[in-house]
Amino acid sequence: MSPELLAAKSRKRPEGETSSQGAYRRTGDLRRRAAALLCLFAAILSGPQRVLAAQAPVLVPVANDPTVSVRLWFKVGAQDDPPGKEGLAALTAAMLTEAATQQHGYDQILDRLFPLASGYGASSSMEMTVVSGRTHVDNLADFYPLLRDAVLAPAFKPEDLERLRSRALNQVENQLRFASDEELGKAVLYHDVFGGTPYGHLEVGTVASLKGVTLDDVRAFYAKHFTRDNVVIGLGGAIPRDAGQPTDRAVAPITTAPGQVNAANVLEQLKRDLNQLPPGAPTPVPAPAPKPLKGVSVTLVEKNTASTAISIGFPLEIVRGAREWYALAIANSWLGEHRNSSGRLYQVIREQRGLNYGDYAYIEHYPNGGARMTPPQNVARRRQLFEIWIRPVPHEARHFALRAALREVDQLIKHGLTPAQFEERREFLKKYVLHYASTTSERLGYAIDDAFYGLAEPHLDRYRRLMDEITLDEVNAAIRKHWQLANMKIAIVTQGAAALADALVANAPSPITYSSPKTEAVLAADKEIATFPLSVAREAVKIVPVTELFAK
Amino acid sequence: MSNLLRLLLLLAPLPLLAATPARIFPYAYEKHTLPNGLTAILVPMPSGGIVAYYSVVRTGSRDEVEEGKSGFAHFFEHMMFRGTPKYPQAVYEGIVTKMGANTNAYTTNDHTAYHLKFTKSDLPKVIEIEADRFQNLAYPKIVFQTEAGAVYGEYRKNIASPFALLFERMQDLAYDAHTYKHTTIGFERDIKLMPTQFDYSLQFFKRFYRPDNTVLVIAGDFEPKPTLALIEKHYGGWARGYVAPAITPEPPQKAERTAEVSYPGRTLPILTVAYKGDAFSPDNRDFVAALLLGELAFGETSELRKRLQLREQRVQTIAANIPQNRDQPLFSIFAMIKQADDIAAVRDEIYQTLEHFKTTPVDATRLRDLKRRNKYGFLMSLDTPDAVAGALARFVSLTGDIAVIDQLYAAADAVTPEDIMNAAKKYFVPERRNVIVLKGGQS
Repeated sequence: MSPELLAAKSRKRPEGETSSQGAYRRTGDLRRRAAALLCLFAAILSGPQRVLAAQAPVLVPVANDPTVSVRLWFKVGAQDDPPGKEGLAALTAAMLTEAATQQHGYDQILDRLFPLASGYGASSSMEMTVVSGRTHVDNLADFYPLLRDAVLAPAFKPEDLERLRSRALNQVENQLRFASDEELGKAVLYHDVFGGTPYGHLEVGTVASLKGVTLDDVRAFYAKHFTRDNVVIGLGGAIPRDAGQPTDRAVAPITTAPGQVNAANVLEQLKRDLNQLPPGAPTPVPAPAPKPLKGVSVTLVEKNTASTAISIGFPLEIVRGAREWYALAIANSWLGEHRNSSGRLYQVIREQRGLNYGDYAYIEHYPNGGARMTPPQNVARRRQLFEIWIRPVPHEARHFALRAALREVDQLIKHGLTPAQFEERREFLKKYVLHYASTTSERLGYAIDDAFYGLAEPHLDRYRRLMDEITLDEVNAAIRKHWQLANMKIAIVTQGAAALADALVANAPSPITYSSPKTEAVLAADKEIATFPLSVAREAVKIVPVTELFAK
Repeated sequence: MSNLLRLLLLLAPLPLLAATPARIFPYAYEKHTLPNGLTAILVPMPSGGIVAYYSVVRTGSRDEVEEGKSGFAHFFEHMMFRGTPKYPQAVYEGIVTKMGANTNAYTTNDHTAYHLKFTKSDLPKVIEIEADRFQNLAYPKIVFQTEAGAVYGEYRKNIASPFALLFERMQDLAYDAHTYKHTTIGFERDIKLMPTQFDYSLQFFKRFYRPDNTVLVIAGDFEPKPTLALIEKHYGGWARGYVAPAITPEPPQKAERTAEVSYPGRTLPILTVAYKGDAFSPDNRDFVAALLLGELAFGETSELRKRLQLREQRVQTIAANIPQNRDQPLFSIFAMIKQADDIAAVRDEIYQTLEHFKTTPVDATRLRDLKRRNKYGFLMSLDTPDAVAGALARFVSLTGDIAVIDQLYAAADAVTPEDIMNAAKKYFVPERRNVIVLKGGQS
């Protein structure tokens, strides 16, 4: 990726801007590098989001891109849902981008977007809400006012709320509970790991909370959080290469006539328009401090299902940006790079034994993994978790598969990576992370996440650079420091949960039989896996019928 | 996005094509065919040093003509990662891992595609290892049998979704003779027997994995001339020998078919109305008009969707899928309905909408807007080498070439309101219709 594609931030105040930070492209200028280092230092001292101050736009100009990508980052998410109103952040975001504005009914908006082949939407995650859209430059003048009105002038009509509430309820009551056991398992894990913190509920909400959300709730939430001091503009693609640069020359004359917005002036137009939002920034929610886990606790979801989905995890102390994080990333990628056959878990559980479709590990929240190949953007969090995702296995192999995964983590903690494994993995990552941000919109998403985490050096640049610097000792030290098996949460979606509970508590052997031959090495390892010890107390096992999940 | 829409997008990964008199595909490209029949389509484009490499085998689940072999093309796709004498599996994986390549494959009803994304300096090695595995694949029986378990796991993972169950049952209901009777992953009973099919897999490789049934599509930052030389060097010795399977044509459907499907989990009821359509052909005016009709009648801005989904809020979602296939596919309309006692009424609304399109010319402005939308949608989708090569792979599977893209756009541009009426009259008739209502259980 060429360096000018990702913008970083400095403390320099550009002329004509009201914000405390300007933006510049990484051009190698010494002064700017020094500012970047200072910014990084501040970020390390103060942790993610503390240095945000920043209404400075995040800009990713891309030569030859005939489209403009927009991401408007509002610093609000499910963590800001009032108690009993879980899902309000996500519903409010949907009420902006999938509902009427004061200018147009939603059906009229769709009609206007239709010939433009363009659209906009909102993603609301735990800490971030991002209104995003993309259009061809030919269509920007027609597209822009629709996007602007969605953010500035939502109509908040009762019929739109009912429609979006109904969709969210369907998502919880039917789709999440029944249509994908593996996503259900992950949702239960996140819920358990961060229970009792502002992260301790689903972004979409619960059945009871969704039913209780009123239009007044939506209006109040919008008024509080969608302010001009709480938004960061992200723009990418066909914008000028010097967009947002501090400059001595006069800014091109701006018109507020909607028909005349173009790639050259869209940034200034957005600044002016978003300035119409009310001032004020709500007090940030403190970063979650999950209670230290004590021992292994298991949630078994009882369900009429064809196979068993397993998720394992515990909170992590570090987030991207810290050098140690990238060391751990090397180990994690070796253990279970997402949707990649080279990971150890995949090799052991799928390749050698054919028990399922895939097995992966994570050190960052990775929602909707079944539907994507590379990490999502703008789901950043100040607290992350270590997570193992075992895709559905036959019921008779569930205990074995759980043990197989834990045994691999155990071996990794005890022995670390070998020099050869380390070398191969860092070579892999140095190039592989290039695929994480293929499109302009994805690059813009990463640049916004850099702002969230307070990274002066873009995350993916840092990722690649550190692959040449980090040592094997650092990797193995990070494994020992951050990974353990004594204290964790396990979520299992299965049928016949009581029998599994008994087997787990008894630490009963779980030998496996196959319908086809396996190598001697596999069979020998199987004996160790089948008795791999896992200490689970009876009182630490909970069985929940699927229909009771996320009810309130 | 709803699961339904996501699924529809998966089924029809390309935007519908329409309307421009000039060339629509924005990149210059070269097409070369080697003496052994292998075709290479080379699309240089600015991409920051990234290259996408697609090997498209024009074999998919439609080619599974033998009894008990449904799902085999997909299963075989898994076996293609099992190595050769020169590059055993672990060696191949080590090479692509060191490249930091993003590698994967997928199978559809009409084709199987193997794709890698990597940095341009690795292109020569990619050509070498890909050419090797397509010619010299070799795997032991024990590995074959174990992988069958992973495929079964993939099936179990998918079937938790009501849509997967619905599609499986709909194909089975609508077809009698043609291989579209089964979905790409295959019947569960056949998947269970896959471990016993080792010998058949060797035969499958010899029959279908031939240069005259394969097209390479390479897009991104590379030089065509030396790339072509390397392709000739590494693929030149691959012996031709593809023999097309004898796929039984589906006899004309004579009467409506209906079924009810029970989903073990909970879901809102899903209604699917599916009509026997036509195979992909830009020369078939009715087919091209039907591509547009699906969007006009049931798309995001259709009157029916606005009424049922936005105003009356009787459906969670409604959409149409007009697929582009080598053989006769199903032109389908899906609706997720909020109340079970409203299913018949929604079904009748769908029928009435189709009748309306048979008798009332579509508004010319809306038709023009749709053509414009499709043009911009297509252009905007071509933003990475992987997106370009992936988009071309579908057309390669249909015709072996990509010149058809411009033909299709020109044909769509010429579609008139009268053509839309004719397509509605031809396809959306009771004799071609298959209706399934899926309802959830109480578990």
